Amino acid sequence: MLSREVLKEALGRALATGADYAEVFAEHTRNKNINIISGKTDKIGDAVISGVGIRIFKGTRCVSGSASSLSPEAVLSCASRVADALTGSAQIQNIVLRERLFGDIHPIRIVPADVANADKIDYLRQACEAAKDYSDEITQVDGDFIEVDHRILIATSEGLLAQDRQIRSRVTLSSVASKNGENQTGSVTPGARKGLELFEDFDPVELGREASAQAVTMLHAGYIKAGTVPVAIENGFGGVIFHEACGHSLEASCVALGQSQFAGKLGERIANEKVTAIDDGTIPNSWGSINIDDEGTPARRNVLIENGILKTYMIDKLNGRRMGMASTGNCRRQSYQFEPTSRMTNTYIAAGEDRDEDIIASIEYGLYAKSMGGGSVNPITGQFNFAVREGYLIKNGKICEPVRGASLIGKGSDVIMNIDMVGRNVARAQGMCGASSGSIPTDVGQPLIRVSSITVGGR
Amino acid sequence: MEYKEFKEAVIRAAKERQIAEYELYYEESEATSVEIYREEVKGYGTEDNMGVGFRCIVDGRAGYASTENLTEEEAKSLIDRAFENALSIESEEKSFLHEKGDTYAVLQDTEETAPAGTTLIDLALEVQKEMYQADKRVCDGTQVQVAHSSERYALYNSNGLDLEDRAAYEVCFGMALVADGEEMYDGSKFKLGYLKDFDSKVVAAEAVEDAVSTIGAGSVASGKYTVVFSNKAMATLLQTYSPIFSAERAQKGMSLLAGKEGEKIAADIVTIVDDPMYKDSVVRRTFDGEGVATYAKNVVERGVLTTLLHNLKTAANAGVKTTGNASRASYASVVGVSPFTFYIQPGEEPDLLPSAGEGIYVTEVTGLHAGANPVSGDFSLSSKGFLIADGKKGAPVKNFTVSGNFFALLKDIEKIGADLEFIRGKCGSPSVLVRDLAVAGE
Repeated sequence: MLSREVLKEALGRALATGADYAEVFAEHTRNKNINIISGKTDKIGDAVISGVGIRIFKGTRCVSGSASSLSPEAVLSCASRVADALTGSAQIQNIVLRERLFGDIHPIRIVPADVANADKIDYLRQACEAAKDYSDEITQVDGDFIEVDHRILIATSEGLLAQDRQIRSRVTLSSVASKNGENQTGSVTPGARKGLELFEDFDPVELGREASAQAVTMLHAGYIKAGTVPVAIENGFGGVIFHEACGHSLEASCVALGQSQFAGKLGERIANEKVTAIDDGTIPNSWGSINIDDEGTPARRNVLIENGILKTYMIDKLNGRRMGMASTGNCRRQSYQFEPTSRMTNTYIAAGEDRDEDIIASIEYGLYAKSMGGGSVNPITGQFNFAVREGYLIKNGKICEPVRGASLIGKGSDVIMNIDMVGRNVARAQGMCGASSGSIPTDVGQPLIRVSSITVGGR
Repeated sequence: MEYKEFKEAVIRAAKERQIAEYELYYEESEATSVEIYREEVKGYGTEDNMGVGFRCIVDGRAGYASTENLTEEEAKSLIDRAFENALSIESEEKSFLHEKGDTYAVLQDTEETAPAGTTLIDLALEVQKEMYQADKRVCDGTQVQVAHSSERYALYNSNGLDLEDRAAYEVCFGMALVADGEEMYDGSKFKLGYLKDFDSKVVAAEAVEDAVSTIGAGSVASGKYTVVFSNKAMATLLQTYSPIFSAERAQKGMSLLAGKEGEKIAADIVTIVDDPMYKDSVVRRTFDGEGVATYAKNVVERGVLTTLLHNLKTAANAGVKTTGNASRASYASVVGVSPFTFYIQPGEEPDLLPSAGEGIYVTEVTGLHAGANPVSGDFSLSSKGFLIADGKKGAPVKNFTVSGNFFALLKDIEKIGADLEFIRGKCGSPSVLVRDLAVAGE
């Protein structure tokens, strides 16, 4: 992407005014998005993203710059512009760049860009047709195939030179069911750090039927009554509860600044003793996985909470300086245009020992949340929310009639204590997580869990 | 290579490849931002970003490709990618490019030079200092961001359209953190406009007041309540549900407003305006994402849906004239439909709380990307605000949801305030009063 000469010169210029660390992040990405609606390909987006982001640190102060070009002139001019924000003389000279090969733990078999649109369209069409054929009440199916080929290069004043190529594929299907002037939706969104071999993991017909089944079920469902009840949250995307209620508040970006409900609590009991939570960027070919993070640190498996005790935060180099702690390999950015910071990768609650049937049977009146949508959190107050896409009432320990989407809300530090039953079968699901460094792929996950009490935003 | 040269390279390459119908959409932004923590500069950044979106029409089918890599070779590859993508399109709805001949509004020159980095830093430090001084409970974690942005939007097409809009503005964001015992409370003030209009004392005072006013917030009992949505909370809802006004979504069966033109869809007192040249907007647009001249329109007038929002294709499908609402979320995006500056027209009531009597004044709703569904209209949203007791603002409350359906809510708006306010400059509303909304709390 950039020659060693240009990288060395750029780092030298960036350091010229007294910074104690400099980093060049270069990127060349190709994204494609094929959309089928009403059974026909409708739009295809096809983007090349290419540019450079340069950062320098002086103590805990950070100066950054970005430019939409990989030409040597643009990169060097960006480096000079960044250095101009400090006034001093160079502290570091004569950097020797040594390339580090971290290896690829996420092998790709079929590079999406090598395959014609037609093959991707065929798969998507099968899924959309199955979704449409599921029921007469399905009035529309919106399907997308998304491929990303994200090449990154990181060079730092510590002499590190590292590169990675991140290929990801994802299918998203959204079905609309309609009746008497009412609409309800259902969706599936599987993805992986894989090429087109993703198609082998999921039968398109099953995906289509799953999205439509959800929409039709919800069309015939009522609403749950507003109130505070016990909730059983299913595995897979159910893990969004941990992501929002706890995960974001464990990112160094807020912990380092004292903007987290869990700041200063390392070694303390912050969750129910049944809760062990892990952020693992090394799971082979998983959607949120990386070989190296966007500062060039190799991905790691970090146990965040072990039996309720807070073990570590998710840390990047800059916030690590403020905290006096090393990077945990969690620094991520959507693109060179975003300043990177600590983020999640694949985050999940580990398997426990409760049986699923015991969890359901333990609830006299409550909600079984089968499928979840996204959510959000204010990490300072811990106030979080996430949406249930498909829910069912639990009465006398049995799953009963379906109820339409409602948000579950609460305060992270309370709710994480209320996870009092944890099942055995962990599943993960894919999401896009938005925060200050942009929108990045992350996995959430958990086994079936019980939350003893949570506010359900019904009617 | 600069955009001007790249444009020429694309024109040459298109000629060579015998592509007759095409369009180039260019966006560029230069930004400087500063971030303050404690009383020091924590971060300082400059961005110089741009990109080009190319669209060609092959037998009525639109093919897209975009790039940020402006070189001679890339110009050719851009066209090849878009051409190949056009051939994969199966939709029979014809795409076409806009012709010359519109009359475009003229933007007043914003020849204001970009402020120096030190000017931004001085303002940010000043706001930070004022926040610490405003209340002794303000603690570390309090932050200020100040930024300047200059933007350029250009569109060129093979029919000879060659258009450009420019905008420049500043942002000042104060985030106050307040500690009260074990609990922390945050509040903020976001100002979008021009440096000369920012008053550091006002920004600081409002951010701190926003946090302090929530100290000791309790919960509410679940039940049905009269709700007054604050201007910002209602603007947030309107923004989330703005896709329901898109003719593209309506034609695809994704909006319940399909076919409702001329019908009552909201209470008589509701008028909703889209004004691309809105007087107080910092980004005014004279042309849309396809080069059509923009204009102001009442999308809803006294409760009646007068029009959906259209681009060229959706208008042709419906046999109407485009409303000039073709949108490109960025140069890398395909053409869609969206409003520009979109707001509910303010009424004359200075204060809605007396009419509410008892109820909840909702000042913030969150989690909209998941808790609000534009296809069904359903919403269930984490909220905070204040109790309304005896027609007056009472104790702060949090950790409750407000649930309902947006289509029903539009019809149920009983009163509209006079306090029009915009969120992030794009979407605005005055406060509104709605009765019998479901609230989940304790």
